[in-house]
Amino acid sequence: MGSVYAVFALGFTLIFGVHHILNLAHGSVAMWGAFIGLIAVSPAALWPGTPFPTPFLPLPVAVVVAMLGGGLIGVLLDLVAFRPLRKRQASEFAALVSSIGASLILLSLAQQLSGTNIVRFPFGTFPIEIFQFAGLRLTLLQITIVLSVVLLFGALVFYLYRTSFGRQVRAVAVSERTATLLGVNTTSVYLQIFFISGALAGAAGVLIGLLFNSVHFLMGEPYLLRAFVVVVLGGLGSVVGAVVAGLLLGMIQTLTVVYVSSGLSDAIIFSILFAMLMIKPTGLFAGLRRDARVTRA
Amino acid sequence: MSDWLIGYLPLVSQSILACGFAFSQYIVLRAGVFSVATAGLASIGAYTAALATMRLGAPPAIALLASLVVGALAGAILSIPLARLRGVFQAIATLAFVQIVLSVALYIEPVTGGALGLNGIPHVIDTWHLVAFLVIVVYLMLTLGASSIGRAFDAARQDETVAVALGISVVRHHALAFMLSGAIAGLTGGLYAFHRYSIVPEQFGFSLLVESLAAVVLGGRISVAGPIVGAITLTVLPELARGLAEQRYLLHGALLMLVIIYLPGGIVDTVKFRLGQRASGRLANKPPAPGGQP
Repeated sequence: MGSVYAVFALGFTLIFGVHHILNLAHGSVAMWGAFIGLIAVSPAALWPGTPFPTPFLPLPVAVVVAMLGGGLIGVLLDLVAFRPLRKRQASEFAALVSSIGASLILLSLAQQLSGTNIVRFPFGTFPIEIFQFAGLRLTLLQITIVLSVVLLFGALVFYLYRTSFGRQVRAVAVSERTATLLGVNTTSVYLQIFFISGALAGAAGVLIGLLFNSVHFLMGEPYLLRAFVVVVLGGLGSVVGAVVAGLLLGMIQTLTVVYVSSGLSDAIIFSILFAMLMIKPTGLFAGLRRDARVTRA
Repeated sequence: MSDWLIGYLPLVSQSILACGFAFSQYIVLRAGVFSVATAGLASIGAYTAALATMRLGAPPAIALLASLVVGALAGAILSIPLARLRGVFQAIATLAFVQIVLSVALYIEPVTGGALGLNGIPHVIDTWHLVAFLVIVVYLMLTLGASSIGRAFDAARQDETVAVALGISVVRHHALAFMLSGAIAGLTGGLYAFHRYSIVPEQFGFSLLVESLAAVVLGGRISVAGPIVGAITLTVLPELARGLAEQRYLLHGALLMLVIIYLPGGIVDTVKFRLGQRASGRLANKPPAPGGQP
């Protein structure tokens, strides 16, 4: 659970860290990722009567397809919704509103695609195997999800801190103007960031869809709201913070459901967010900007 | 003729309620507070009014007064912690507030009726009540905007440092904006409850937040006419385009993006700005966006 939050929040925090905007369309991108993954696995789940066989593509390929799809949607978002604003040097407010607009469009398209139905991955898409491990019951699916999250996180950290692209990204995060002066192509950096963010959202969407075995057009919204909590807890723009806070949030939520009440878990989560903003708005971990400064030497 | 009018009465009421929420959003944005708490405050107001009548047997007028007072109080309390935050962080915190109100309303079932909401609220508010309400709010906004408070709001929005240097207490004016926003949202919520027979928590969630924000963005964030134009457009447009009812959100989204990208001041402010420019006879090549950053 927590690791899914982590992947979801990673993409969200990346855009905030570099671009300093809240991308409220992130939830819709994840939802589209889930739909694309589903279509890749089984077109018949959405359109009964299609000639394609049900296990159309194997699941790992479907995840990759969903990530590519999510990334492309992310790039499209940047081109349509954010680049015109960036040209005008518009305020954060404008970008926020624009992303709400984009989110509504994506939601509406998905609503028409699915006819507001909840669709499912076909039974047996993922083998159900249960392991007993030191008194814990883990399904193979849960283990796979955790592993894939570790993989994605590792890839992102490698990209950000060990490649020249990553250095450019971090430079833009520190100061767009300085980076441009030093010959960094900011346009391409933004496109990359939106692609990666969208791909992460797409992966998160498929994982969520598999975990709860339901895909519908509003599935992204609760995650978007929780991503706020994760991102604020971890520090806006911090990659490590997003992962740690994502896991933490997953635990907090599970514990409140078990010990307090499932109805109150949202209230508690958002109260934590509120309290966090009051006490330490920079979050538990420093942002990308700080990270960049540390690795500069 | 009168039949024709009666047919459109629900639409008029709906537009006016949307205007109320939009004004609640407008007043905070005008003061430079990036709050989206309107939906949560409206929820508090609606539940206050409904509970006061249904459980305590208060007459509707008293219940509406209560929703106004409670809304203003909630806004005032909310402004204390928020005074430390700015920009996007304010938006996140108020978004959290909306979610907290929503989940608490869902959780305390004995009081609020949980997900089923409150039903059978007496229907005492007719369209003409709402028209009177709108007239009062618009009058208040106009006088407020022309007074020193309105100018202080404008100064605080455009540049906080300058406002402080001019001797304006930004914290106090932000708190005032929050209280006004809470009062308007609370009262509109109360009217909503008395007009609609029933309320459920989800009515005051993310979608209301987006709609009131959209109305202000579309209409304009500075002049008083802005929220009215925005709210009415957003309410009437889906009705005009009945055939496009399915594409309602698509239309909303596209409209929001187009306006924020090509008409950043909103309809009314841009038109006003252009007219003012023409009147004063100087046509700059590239007009700057009217107003400051919220």
